[in-house]
This record gives sequence, structure tokens and C-alpha cells, in this order.
Amino acid sequence: MSAMLRAESLSHRVPTSEGPLTLLNNISLQLARGESLAITGASGSGKSTLLGLLAGLDRPTEGRIWLAGDEITAMDEEQRAAVRARCVGFVFQTFQLLPGLTAQENVMLPSELRGDRNAAGRAAEFLGRVGLEHRLGHYPRQLSGGEQQRVAIARAFASFSGNDGILFADEPTGSLDAGNGEKVIDLLFELNAESATTLVLVTHEQRLAERCHSHLRMAAGEIQGADLQPRDGGNLSEVSA
Amino acid sequence: MAATPTLPLKLLGRDWRGGELALIATALVLAVACVTAIAHFSDRLTRAMHIQSQTFLAAERVVRSSKPVDPAWTDEARDRGLERAETVSFASMLSAGEQFQFAAIKAVSAGYPLVGHLEMRTAADAPREVVSQGPGTGEVWLEPRLLPLLELQMGDRLQVGEAELLVTGLLDHEPDRSDNLFSMGARVMMNIADLPATNIIQPGSRVRYRYLFAGDDAALESYFKWLEPRLTEHQRVIDLREGQPRVASALDRAESFLFLAGSLAVLLASVAVGLAARRYSLRHTAYVAVMKSLGAGRAKVLQIYIGQLVALALCATVVGLLIGSLIQAQAVSLMADFFPVEPPPSSWNPLLVGLATGFACAFGFALPPLFRLARTDPMQTLRRDWSNPDRREWLGMVMGPTSMLLLIWWLSGSLPITLALFAGMALLVGGSALVNQLLVRGQLASLGGAWRIALGSLQRRAAFNTLLIAAFGTGLLAMLALVFARTTLIEEWRMQLPENAPNHFMFNIAPHDVERLQALLDENGIAATEIYPMVRGRLVAINDVPATGREEQAGALRRELNLSWTENLAPDNRIVAGDWWDRADEGVSVEVELAARLNLALGDKLRFSIGGLEVETHIASLRSLDWNSMRPNFYMLFAPGTLDDFPATYITSFYLPADQKLLVNDLVRNFPSVSLIELDKIIERIRDTIGQVSLAIESVMALMLVAGVLVLISGVRSSIAERLQEAAIIRTLGGRRGLLLKSLVIEFGLLGIAAGLLAAIGAEATLAVLAMRVFELPFSLHPLLWLAGPIAGALLVGIAGTLACRSSVSQPPLKVLRELA
Repeated sequence: MSAMLRAESLSHRVPTSEGPLTLLNNISLQLARGESLAITGASGSGKSTLLGLLAGLDRPTEGRIWLAGDEITAMDEEQRAAVRARCVGFVFQTFQLLPGLTAQENVMLPSELRGDRNAAGRAAEFLGRVGLEHRLGHYPRQLSGGEQQRVAIARAFASFSGNDGILFADEPTGSLDAGNGEKVIDLLFELNAESATTLVLVTHEQRLAERCHSHLRMAAGEIQGADLQPRDGGNLSEVSA
Repeated sequence: MAATPTLPLKLLGRDWRGGELALIATALVLAVACVTAIAHFSDRLTRAMHIQSQTFLAAERVVRSSKPVDPAWTDEARDRGLERAETVSFASMLSAGEQFQFAAIKAVSAGYPLVGHLEMRTAADAPREVVSQGPGTGEVWLEPRLLPLLELQMGDRLQVGEAELLVTGLLDHEPDRSDNLFSMGARVMMNIADLPATNIIQPGSRVRYRYLFAGDDAALESYFKWLEPRLTEHQRVIDLREGQPRVASALDRAESFLFLAGSLAVLLASVAVGLAARRYSLRHTAYVAVMKSLGAGRAKVLQIYIGQLVALALCATVVGLLIGSLIQAQAVSLMADFFPVEPPPSSWNPLLVGLATGFACAFGFALPPLFRLARTDPMQTLRRDWSNPDRREWLGMVMGPTSMLLLIWWLSGSLPITLALFAGMALLVGGSALVNQLLVRGQLASLGGAWRIALGSLQRRAAFNTLLIAAFGTGLLAMLALVFARTTLIEEWRMQLPENAPNHFMFNIAPHDVERLQALLDENGIAATEIYPMVRGRLVAINDVPATGREEQAGALRRELNLSWTENLAPDNRIVAGDWWDRADEGVSVEVELAARLNLALGDKLRFSIGGLEVETHIASLRSLDWNSMRPNFYMLFAPGTLDDFPATYITSFYLPADQKLLVNDLVRNFPSVSLIELDKIIERIRDTIGQVSLAIESVMALMLVAGVLVLISGVRSSIAERLQEAAIIRTLGGRRGLLLKSLVIEFGLLGIAAGLLAAIGAEATLAVLAMRVFELPFSLHPLLWLAGPIAGALLVGIAGTLACRSSVSQPPLKVLRELA
């Protein structure tokens, strides 16, 4: 199974008034297609920064990243955006639904950005898969927290134009109560398995990390430890710090 | 991979609910409507003036000459397909039986007038006829007052030089009557074919030839290009611009003023667009960060948002163009009397002006925030930080003002005026900042809870408040200056006229009527000014140097002057150099300002040409006089006896109280050849005209105030989240809704008072300049203005601001705090 995501010697520093601040230090990892990886750590450990770099939202100060076979660290912002539009989906802690758009319009957005003429049909289909077919015309303020996150999951899966999907989820249950969080996670893993997408998950929850194939623990911008589980008939993810 | 082309429109529709786009659209509609209305209005006014000027010329272009021109010139015009006509004007003595009268004769060819028409009657009691041809061969038409003077009846014969012509019409109106009201001779119009038979025109005769042309613009243009090198110093081309120079320059000024006022409205509307766009861009930071994380690059974000802006600007501009056209149609119908002729429909130009305004406002002020928006960092979705760092803010600071500068330069057609406007605005903003500082540094906070909250809010939003004071200050200043100029200033000017200032002028009084007129006035107890004789003559040489070529120095050299003589110095005249003459003296007394313009001094020799004869004299004194005294006044007053040999008419003025107004009928009946001007009616007409013009200008000012309200709403919207939070915290801590409402009223009321105060200062300064320069009145303060400015400001800004912010105090605090969390 080929690597869907590979990072080599990633370091990231930002300038501050007291000199450069290291957010990430020498991180390497590899994730095969269809695998899931949980990143955990305390606040400020650098897990969200790592997620952003892996998704191509920013470029690391040092190191290289390959996403679906393309080296995104060699690309400019426009090219990275094109890669994201093709194979990256996002689920955020605070949902990040656009308040002026209905549930369906929110899910349509990635398809519309790609120029897909069947954006509305595709959005309705994904909302049906997350059980919100009756909420298409509702605005985010008219939906509960759990429902809003289900719309965000539908939007993330609607983001993939082909089979090479990779989903980045940043504390997807962080704004939900335990019951709703459980339902959302079940849905996320269910859809991930159905669509054979790759999943990178940032979370505080140990229980959630345990459901992933790999688990990477971070502290102060460095990998403190990794649990690697064999995937049925597949390779192991590699992690090094 | 391209987004669907309709995506910007779809998102525009979805975003409309947010409110900022509606605000941007409203500001754009306002700016476009304002400029379009003014551009339409001025376009139609210019076209009306154009037609009117053509009428004044009786042609589209005229060649004026003191000698007959080469016949090849008119043949060339014919070959180029132009219409032609010819007039020959001169003064001559007419006779009918025992009666003689000096008259201004005009011989006209077939085709005259090429533009406009003549009005005549076939008998004194017959209705007026509008005709397009002058008298036929052997016929003559007279100005009605000549009939009694020459004791003629219709159908009688009139001797003109050696020719005898049949009186067949009374001439009531000719389009190109350019002689002024005081022209000595009454008009006589004859056919040019009869001219040789009169034998009047001899070498050396003072004759004015006018060659009239009309036709296709291109043909006219090419003909005059051909003609130009052939013209000599005796010939001059008169085009439309010179048809009515004074009216044209007054209207030009009114037009520039309207455009400047309109530009201010556009400027304020643009500030509203900028503020709303900035708020829109801040609110959309999260949108764009999410879109970018979903795969939209900077180019796609720009494509979406610029696409939206183009669509929005286009829609708002079209609505603005429609509203502007409607306003203009209404204004034209309201001011129908003010137009010289029925205004023709407008050209496409005003629509172009409106379109350019819409796009300059939209792009100049809304584009920089959108560029900033496109630079949003997608990592913000993970950091959950929605601040929009104002990097490259300079782009907005440069682009908005530059686009406005270029637009206003284009609209006003003058860079100095544009720069002066910007400098004025900068001064106003500086003044606003100062007033704002005084306001927040005052000891008002010690007045209590609501005052402290209001003052705190004013301190935190100092930059926006400065803008607000400047915006409302501008609108109120213009409005106050105009209203007070229209009412108070004109009233003050009227009040300063002496109680019994003459309100009627009589002129063209024949010498034999002078005693009879004096008797009639005495009989009715009417005290008239002296009855002055008047002879028309031209100043042709100063100290033996011909005055030609010095017309630039004084308009008085361009035309014939009314020359008079008197033994007594009028009460409003004062000798400033030399001496008023004794009986034996000779010489002329010259008005001091004219003397200064022509560099004349006591003792200088002046030569006048009067009816073809020349008179030489010297300057005996210089006189100052009061042109506002409503008395006959003269640039040149001769010593009695100098001009006795020249035929004179007389002029006087008198005060007629309202209860003796019926005497006008007696005067007209007893002296049919005399011209009477009722000044009271003219003043009434002037007041009406000013009222109508002010109405148009005030409506533009009202639009400026609406633009100010838009700035206020845009500004308040940008601070609404902050205000909601403040209000929620105060209410959570036990503050009552009434307290918060009171603080809002205080905050915006104070801002309004500051704007009104600033406006009062500006308006008082404007009135002072107007009073001293235009109305020649001494400076005086207007206490009502100092009261009206702050009250109007407090009401306007207080109400608009409190209404715009009321949602911040009416929402339940728990809901607000939860949403903001």
C-alpha cells in the first residue's frame, strides 16, 4: 500500500520579538492510504500546527511533505490549494460552517469551488449519509452542535473529487457533549471506512486516539511517543522523532 | 480547475443577508444618483443655453465686420451647403412729415433669422405674429414707441435716407437684439434690398455688418477653418459662447458649485462604502479561511469577491442612474422658469458620469479591503483567530483618495478646485479631531453614570468620531450657509437699502417729454432723482493713444457708454480727486474704479466717439459712487454744455409707494415712448429665481446629509459587536436598559453638537465672505446660526445614532454573551 501522507524532518519556527520560537522540531511520519492517525498532546504542544502543515495550509521552515504523491512543500500557495481542493477534507472543532449559508449551501461550497455543476445533488447525498436529509434548508444557527458537526463532516467528504481522500479533523468532538461526541465519532469512522479515506485526527481524548491505527503523542513540538497498530493485511505506519 | 462562473453571484445572493452589502449598495446608489442627477441637470442646462445662445445670435455662427466682406466668402459657404443671411446695422435720422427721430436701423436679407423668430403685429391692436422672415422689399417695421414719436399710422410712408418705405408692421421681438436697454435709437427693420436706395451708407459711415451662418456641424467647422486665415482685424467670429457671456458664466459657476456639492456627497458615500467594505472583509475572514482550507487559492478568492463587487456595483449603479434621472426630471420641472428655453433631453454623457462614479466609489474604497481578505491565512481556521491583520493598509489609504481625486477632477474639470476641496476636507477633519479631543477631555464624565459610559465610548472610538463629526459637519455647514444666505443675507441686503430707495426707473425719455413728466410726478407728490440727459458714445483714445486692444482692462471699452452731464453732484457720489466744476469749467468726472482699471489720472486726455463725431476732453475729477443706491449713475459725467450738440434721451428713477402703484398706468399711457422698469417686480423675480436655484442645491445638500447617515450606520455596524458586549456586561452587572439608552443619546447627541458647532463656524465664515464680497455688507454675527447648527446636529446625529445602535441595548445579555463566546 503506497504512502498517502509522508513528512520528512519537519521543523517549524515563527519569528517573535524575543527571537525565533520553535513550534515543531524534526518530525517525520508516514501514513498509508486508508489508515488513521491520532495526534494527541497538551495545549501548545504543536499538534494543530502539525495538522496544518500536513494539510498544506502553511509551509514548514524545514523538511518536506508528500500528499497523495505530490510534494506539497515544493508548491506555491495556489498549487497547494489545488491539491487541497482535490483530496483534502477538514473537520474543525468549532465546525466552521458559514453562518449565512444553509446546511446544503455549506456542503455545496467545496464542489462549487471546483466548478462541479452537480454541487447541490452531491451535497444532498452527503447530508443524507450523515442523516440530515430533512435539514437541507436550515441555517447553522437553527441546528444543534451535533447536527452542525455532522454538516461539517458531510462537507469534508464532499471535498474529495476522487478516491485519494485524506480527512484532517481538528478536535472534532471538542465542542460537543459526550453523547453527541460519541455519535459524531462513530459517524466519522463509519464514513472513513466506507470511503476508504485516510484520516488524521487531533484530539485530547485517549478513547478516540485508541480507535485509530496509529497514535502520536506530542509535547513541546516534538514526538514523545508513538503507538503503531498493524492494519489487517497492511503495512505499519512509520513515525520518528 | 475553475469555480462555476455564477459562483460569485450565488454567494452574493447568500451574503446579502449579512447587511454590509446592502449598506455598500445603498451608498453606491446614493453617490451615483446624486452625480447622475447633477450631470443630467447640467447637461440639459448647457444644451438649453446652447439653443438660447443660438437664438441670441439668430444663427449658429456669425462673422461681424465693420466693412462688407468679400462676396467669395458667402459663395464658399453656399458651396459647402450652409444656410446664410446678412444684416446691416447703423443709426440714422428718420422723418415722417414734420417729425424727425433718431433710430437704430437694421437691414435684413432673405433667410434672416436663421435661428429663432421675429414677433410682429400688423396693427397696434392686432395679435402678435411669430414670423421667420423680415419685412419685404419696400416695407419697414418699427418698434411700437416710434409710431407716436413720428406721429405715424400703419400704412403711412417713412423716409429713410433718400428712400420712402411703407410702414407695414410693428416689431415686438428680434432674437439678436444685442444693443442694451439704454440704446438711444428705437429699432427700425427694413429689407437689405432697399439699402442702396436710401443712400445712407457712405464711406466712413459707422455700419456694422453681420454675416449669419447655420447648418451641419461638420460643414460649419470646415467652413470656419477655411475662413479663419482670411479674417482681418475688422472681422470677428462670434460663436455660441459669446451669445450671452454673463448668463453663461453665472450658470457655469452654479454648475461647478452643484458638482462640488455633489462631489462632497460622493466623498461621504465613498467613506460609507469603505467602512462597510472593511466590516464586510473582517466578517468574511472566517469565510475565506474556511474556503482556503477547502481548496480555494488566493486567485479564486479574489475572483469570487471581485466578481461580487462588480455585480454589486453594476446593480447599484443601474438603480442609481434610474433614481438620478428621476430626480433630475423632477428638478427640471420644478425649475422650468429658470431655464432660458424648454430644456432638450439629456445626452448619454450623464449616464457615463454616473457609471464612472459608481465604479470609482466601489473599486477605490472596497477593493483594498478585499485584497486584504484574499491574503487571509488558512491556518486561522485551526488557530480560531479571526483578526484580519491590517497589513498593507496603505493600499486603502492611497487607492480610495486617489480614485476620488481623479473622479472629482474629472467632474469639476479643475485640478485647483479639486485640490482646494481636498484641502478643505483635510482642514475639516483636523477641526473635527480637535473638537473631538475637547469633547472627551471635558469634565462631562463627572455628571454621572450615563455620561461616564457615553464619554468612555467616545474616547474608545476617537478615530471614527472624528470622521463622523467631519461628515456631518460638512453636510450641516453647506446646508446652514445656504439657508442663511438665502433668507437672512438677502433680507439684510434689502434692509440696508434706504427706506425710500427708488424702485422704478424711467428711460428713453424724449427731451420734449421731460417737463411734462416732471410735472406729472410733482402733481402726485413723487420725489424723483434728477432727470439726467444721456448720450451714447465710445471711449476711443486715452492721451491720444487708441483704446483698441485695451478691452481686457475694462469691459467699458468694449461697448458704448452712457455719457451724461449735470451741475449737481448726486448725494451718493463723492469726489475723491480733483474738484467738482463751477459753471465755466470743462472736462469729465470719471468713476474711480474704472479710472483705476484703465490707469487714468487727473488731467488725462480722453477722446469719445459719439454718433460718428469725436469729442475730446480731460479728466477734471474722479468720483466714487454707490451702485446700490438705485439712482441713475454714470461712469462719465461731463461738464454741462459739453455734449449739448448731440441728441439725448433722459433717464430718472423714483420711489413709488405700494399704494400709489396705479400711477404706473398713467405714466405708461401718457408717455408711450418711454421705457419703465419696475424694480420691485425684478427684486421679486430675483428672489424667486434664487429660491428655485436654492431648492436644487439644497436637495443635493440633503443627499450629503443622507450620505453622512450612511457613514454613521457603517461606522456603528463596525463597532456593534463591541457595543453588544459592553452593553451585555453592564446589564449583567445591574445596569438598566434606560441607562444604556441614555448613554447612547448622550454619546451621539454630543457628536451632533460638535458637528453642528463646527458647521456653524464654517457657515459663519462662508456668510462673512459672501456678505462682504457679494452683497457688500458689513460683517455681522448670526446668533440664530450658532443655535441652529448644534441643535440640528444633536437631533440628526442623536436620533440616527441611537436608532442604529438600539439593538445593542435591547438584546438579552445572556444571549449576547453566549453568542460572542
